[in-house]
Amino acid sequence: MSVLSTREDARPLAAFRVAVGLCVCLSIGSVIGADLVGPLWTHADHGGIQAVPGTALAQLLGGPTPAVMHTLAWLAMLGGVALVAGIGGRVTALFTLQVFLACVDTNGAARGGYDLLLANALWLLVLGGGTATWSTDARLRTGHWSDASATAGAWVRWLVLFQLLLMYWTTGLQKLSIHWIPGGDLGALYWILQQPTWQRFDMAWVGPLFPLTQIATLVTWLWEISMPLWAWALIRRERGQEGQLERLRLVEVYTVVGIGLHLVITVLLEVGPFSWVSLAYYTALWPALRRRRDVVRRREPARGAS
Amino acid sequence: MPQLRPRPAQLVTPTWRDHLRGAFVVFHLVAITAMALPSPQGARTPASWADPTVQEEIRAWAARLGTEPETLEETARTLAIAVVDAREALLGPLDPYYRYAGTWQAWRMFVAPHRFPARLHVDVRTDAGWEPLYVVGSPDHAWRSQQLRHARARALIFLAPWPRYRKQRARLADWVAREVAEERPDARAVRVRYYKARTPAPGEVAPEGRWVAVEERELP
Repeated sequence: MSVLSTREDARPLAAFRVAVGLCVCLSIGSVIGADLVGPLWTHADHGGIQAVPGTALAQLLGGPTPAVMHTLAWLAMLGGVALVAGIGGRVTALFTLQVFLACVDTNGAARGGYDLLLANALWLLVLGGGTATWSTDARLRTGHWSDASATAGAWVRWLVLFQLLLMYWTTGLQKLSIHWIPGGDLGALYWILQQPTWQRFDMAWVGPLFPLTQIATLVTWLWEISMPLWAWALIRRERGQEGQLERLRLVEVYTVVGIGLHLVITVLLEVGPFSWVSLAYYTALWPALRRRRDVVRRREPARGAS
Repeated sequence: MPQLRPRPAQLVTPTWRDHLRGAFVVFHLVAITAMALPSPQGARTPASWADPTVQEEIRAWAARLGTEPETLEETARTLAIAVVDAREALLGPLDPYYRYAGTWQAWRMFVAPHRFPARLHVDVRTDAGWEPLYVVGSPDHAWRSQQLRHARARALIFLAPWPRYRKQRARLADWVAREVAEERPDARAVRVRYYKARTPAPGEVAPEGRWVAVEERELP
């Protein structure tokens, strides 16, 4: 109950809101930019690829026709911009979530993990708001874009962290291929990089680097499967508990590996905005990462005095 | 310069709203965790088990576990179907929460590398014969590449050659036929097909593959 009753600095949640808004714009904007709203999200009778039935909201508006789906796509973009600007609090997040789902859920075959992650992020913003500071709402309320006294429920940020770690951990649990598990050839990343569907460019040049890809495979698998350790380190860090575990700097190690992994994915593979949406969740790590710096700062003068 | 260090958290006295929120948070955590747990989707489709990538995994695991591949496949299939059935029964009542709150969890991301990937080829036939229009990864045959190389289109193209997605494959071919017919008055037919081949190991010469999931449409 203490986490649920704790209020904390609202800026990490505001940073999450801004990042999620940008990701909505990127995700939907890329579909509009590639002229794919028609082919992917409208019914075959109206020029689409699939006989998509349309979501309940799309049906309510007249079905997955070009006019309806283009309107929904632009409304989702508008929602993304409103999130970045911090207008309308939870209502904006709920609106954006519903129009976003009405777009991406229309065609299940043209969906990615980034849609699920983004939809979950929007729902967490519905629960938590996120416009207490760094927002137009703050400007209207206080006369300033930034409200230094604003607070947010700590539980929302913990739900953001839980979602991120749950995704990593359960994807790791499902990596049962003989090419992922230690004891096999650890060739998973090499084989994945050779998959034509997801390549940004030809990856035959990776062949001589096979041993490096084996190390990367092992690191990725261990990192994902050991997510509970990151969770434990985060809880200890935020509670201010210190000990042997803190000296290993597990929070920082896991964060750096995660960011590195997402950057490599973005450079080598075309998997939509997956990395950017994942990294939006990393804003929730801000208090834990700052706490370490505060601890180090407190220690340094003490050592100097002795 | 504003301070970017988060202020320390403050504990406040719990109210009845905090208790209600607590109950909801527990519900949310249970719902998303249950949905995220591993689920072998496609276990009920016999053709999925026959895919060469799946068969290679079964052979490798059977060798490692010291059993016969057929025995392992039968056991894995029975177990997988039981898990899928139990999951559907357990999570069915929560469907509205996943659907309308957008809390679906499906994190089967690159769980097994596809050792026998299928490469999309789109060809057009004119009076001069067949010519390639689009070949995945080819800069020379890049018809509608801005669309076909988009991550969402890639997802659809990735699924289309699998046996479970026969309808989607046929509709993809219908769409290609419609679009080509509009653009190319000289076109007589289009063909959408996949070249399925084992990915070569480092230093290995690319092995021979075969054409699969071939869809051909005569144009009016």
